[in-house]
Amino acid sequence: MNNLSPPQAAHLTDIPDTVKVFVPAAARAAPSSTLGATAWIRKNMFSSVPSALLTILGIWIVYTVLNGFIGWAWTNAVWEASSRRDCLDKVGNAGACWPGVVVWIPNLIYGLYPKDEVWRINLAFALLIVWLIPLWLPKVNSKVAIGLSMVLLFPLFASYMFMGGEKGAIWTALIAVGLTGFLWTVLTAVTETLWGVPVLRLVARKFGATTAEAESRIGQVVLLALFGVALFIVFELDFVEVRTRVWGGLFLTMVISGFGIAVSLPAGIVLALGRRSKMPVISLLCTTFIELFRSVPLITILFMFNTMLPLFLPAGVEVNQLLRAIVAVCLFASAYMAEIVRGGLQAIPRGQYEAASAMGLGFWQSTALIIMPQALKIMIPNIVGNFIGLFKDTTLVSIIGLLDLLSMARAVGQDTRWIGLFIEPFFFITVIYFVFCFAMSQYSMNLEKRLNTGHKR
Amino acid sequence: MSAVEKAVRREPVIELIGLNKWFGAFHVLKDVNLRVYEGERIVVCGPSGSGKSTMIRCINQLEVNQEGTVIVGGRRFSKDEKANSDIRRDIGMVFQSFNLFPHLTILENCTFALTWVKQMPKDEAEALAMEFLKRVRIPEQARKYPMQLSGGQQQRVAIARALCMRPKIMLFDEPTASLDPEMINEVLATMIELAESGMTMVVVTHEMGFARKVADRVIFMDQGEIVEEAPPELFFARPQYDRTQLFLSQIL
Ligand SMILES: Nc1ncnc2c1ncn2[C@@H]1O[C@H](COP(=O)(O)OP(=O)(O)OP(=O)(O)O)[C@@H](O)[C@H]1O
Ligand SMILES: [Mg+2]
Repeated sequence: MNNLSPPQAAHLTDIPDTVKVFVPAAARAAPSSTLGATAWIRKNMFSSVPSALLTILGIWIVYTVLNGFIGWAWTNAVWEASSRRDCLDKVGNAGACWPGVVVWIPNLIYGLYPKDEVWRINLAFALLIVWLIPLWLPKVNSKVAIGLSMVLLFPLFASYMFMGGEKGAIWTALIAVGLTGFLWTVLTAVTETLWGVPVLRLVARKFGATTAEAESRIGQVVLLALFGVALFIVFELDFVEVRTRVWGGLFLTMVISGFGIAVSLPAGIVLALGRRSKMPVISLLCTTFIELFRSVPLITILFMFNTMLPLFLPAGVEVNQLLRAIVAVCLFASAYMAEIVRGGLQAIPRGQYEAASAMGLGFWQSTALIIMPQALKIMIPNIVGNFIGLFKDTTLVSIIGLLDLLSMARAVGQDTRWIGLFIEPFFFITVIYFVFCFAMSQYSMNLEKRLNTGHKR
Repeated sequence: MSAVEKAVRREPVIELIGLNKWFGAFHVLKDVNLRVYEGERIVVCGPSGSGKSTMIRCINQLEVNQEGTVIVGGRRFSKDEKANSDIRRDIGMVFQSFNLFPHLTILENCTFALTWVKQMPKDEAEALAMEFLKRVRIPEQARKYPMQLSGGQQQRVAIARALCMRPKIMLFDEPTASLDPEMINEVLATMIELAESGMTMVVVTHEMGFARKVADRVIFMDQGEIVEEAPPELFFARPQYDRTQLFLSQIL
C-alpha cells in the first residue's frame, strides 16, 4: 500500500486491487464507577451536600410516618371487640379498631343486598371473569367478537341475576341472548385453543359444509340451537326480586362505573366523530352536547336527573333511581371521552386518511380500520385515566342517596355499636379504591407496552 | 413512437378539463387542462407553491376542484362518493411522506386494501403482496413494521402497496423529496423499472435526471397554471418561456 500515489494524483484507473478492510473496534466494558448499586446510590442520592441532606430528610419523614402508621394500624390495633367502646377502653385512640370494619365487610361489599342472595352477585362476576379470560389466551382469534359480546351482552344477563323477579317474554328472550353470548364465548375459546377454529365453523365443517356460505348458514343454525339451550336454562331460573334501593357498597360502585366505562367509550367515539363531521347540524348537536355536559359538575347533573327528570316525564312513568344515576354518569363520562377521542383523532396525520382513501377505502372503513386503531392506541393513558376518574367519581351518587362504597363506609360510624368509627372504614375503602385504580393504571401501561409497535422506533 | 403519435392513436386515460380550484379566496389552479394517454409518463415540475401537488391530487380527487371536470379511465368524478371510491381503485398514489399505516406490518399494509376493498381471501392477497414486495426488492422485510424500515425502503413499500391494487395509473407526489441522497436512487430505480413496464405515470419531482430518462412529456407549472409542456429533450434544451428558463437555471 506504501507505493500508492497521493490522493490528488489518484485517477480512477489506478485504484489498487487490494482494498483496506474496515474492522470496527471491539466494545469495552463501562468504567466500574458507573455501575452497580453503590455507584447508583452515590450518584442519585449523595452527589452533593444539599442532595445528601435532602436524602436524609426524606428518609426521616418516611420513617416517622410509617412508624406512626404501623403503630396505629398494627402494633396497637384492636382485633377483637364487640363495640367501639370496647376498643376505646383497651387502647384509646392510639390504635385502630378493626372489628367494626370486619363486621361490616359484607355490607361494604354488597350494601344491603340480602345475605341469602349474595351468591348471585358472586356468580355473575365469576361469569364475567370467565368471559374475560379468552381475551388473554394467545390462541384465541375471535378476541374482538368476544370483547364486543361481553360489553353488549353481559349487562342483559347480569341485570337479571342482580334484580331477579318477574320476567316477561321479551325480558326472557333478552336474558337468553346474553346467556347465548356467554355459551358461544366459552365454546369458541375452547375450540380455538384446541383446534384453531371458532365453534360455529367447526360444527359446520363436521356437518360437511365446504363453502363459506354453507358454513355461515349452518353456523346460524348452531347459534339458534345455543339460543334454545340458553332459553331453556333461563326458563328454569327463578330468582327472588331484589330491589335496586338495597344494592350498595363495592357492588353498586362497580355496577355504576361498569356501565359508565362500557357506554362512555363507544359513545365518546360516536360523539367525537359527530363533532368532526362535515354536516353542520350533526356537528353542532354533538358539540353542544359535549360542551354542555363538560361545563357542568357531575354532581349538578346527578341532582338534575334525580329531581328534575321525573318532572319532564309523563305522569305514571317511574324511572328507577339507580337507572337515573347511571344515565347521568354515562352522559357525563361520554362527553369527557368524546374530547379525549377527538384529541387522539387530531394527532393522526392527514396523510393516513389520504392514503386510505387513495386506495379506494370509504370514510367508515378508513375511520374504523386505519384511524381509530392508531388514535385509540395513543389515547390509552387518557382513556384509562378517564376510567379511573369515573370509578372514583361514582362516590358522588352517595349524595342522591344511593348506597355506594363511600356511603356504606360512612354508615359504619352511625351503627350504634360502632358509633363514631370513621377512620378505619375510610382506610379500608381507600385500600379498595387504590387496588382498583392502581390495577387499571398498571394494566394501561402494560397495554401500551404491548401495543407499542408503530409509533416508536 | 412520440407522444404526439400516441395521442392520435389512443384515448386519454386522464383528462383534466378547465380545472379551477380555490383554497378559500386563493386561486390555486387556474384553467388547468391536461390529457394523459395510456402508457405515458408525465413529469411535473415547478417552484414551491405552484400547485403541482394540488393538481395531481385532483386527479384522484383527494382535493376537490370547484370548476372543471376530471375524467379517469373514461369515468367522471362526481358527488357520489361511492362511485368515486371505485374510480380511485384504478389510481395508485405514492406520497412524499410515504403514509404507510404504522400499526400494520409491511405485509398487512400491502394486503389491507386487497382484503377490505377487493374482498380477496387472505392467502391469495398475501401471495400477491409478496410478489410485489419482491418486485421492489424487500420481501425479507414483510413482517416488520414501517417504522423499522429506512425511508427509502418505506417508500418502496408504499409503491408496492399501491401496485397491489393493480392500478392503471400511478401518481407520485415528490416521492423522493424527503429522502437522503443514498436512498433517492433506490426509489428512482424502482420507478424507472415501473415506467419500463409500461405503467401510465404522473410524477411530480425535481429529479431532472429521472425526467430526462423516462418522461414522455415534462410539464412546468407556475402560479397555478401549466406554463410549458414539452418532451424532455426540447424542454431542457430550448424552454419557450423565460419563467421556465429561470427555474431550470436554478435547479440544474
Ligand atoms: N389545504 C390547503 N389550504 C389552503 N391552502 C393550501 C392548501 N394546500 C395548499 N395550499 C396552498 O396552495 C398553494 C399550492 O400548493 P401545492 O401544495 O399544490 O404546491 P406545490 O406546487 O405542490 O408546492 P411544493 O413544491 O412546496 O410541494 C400553496 O400556496 C399552498 O400554500
Ligand atoms: Mg407539493
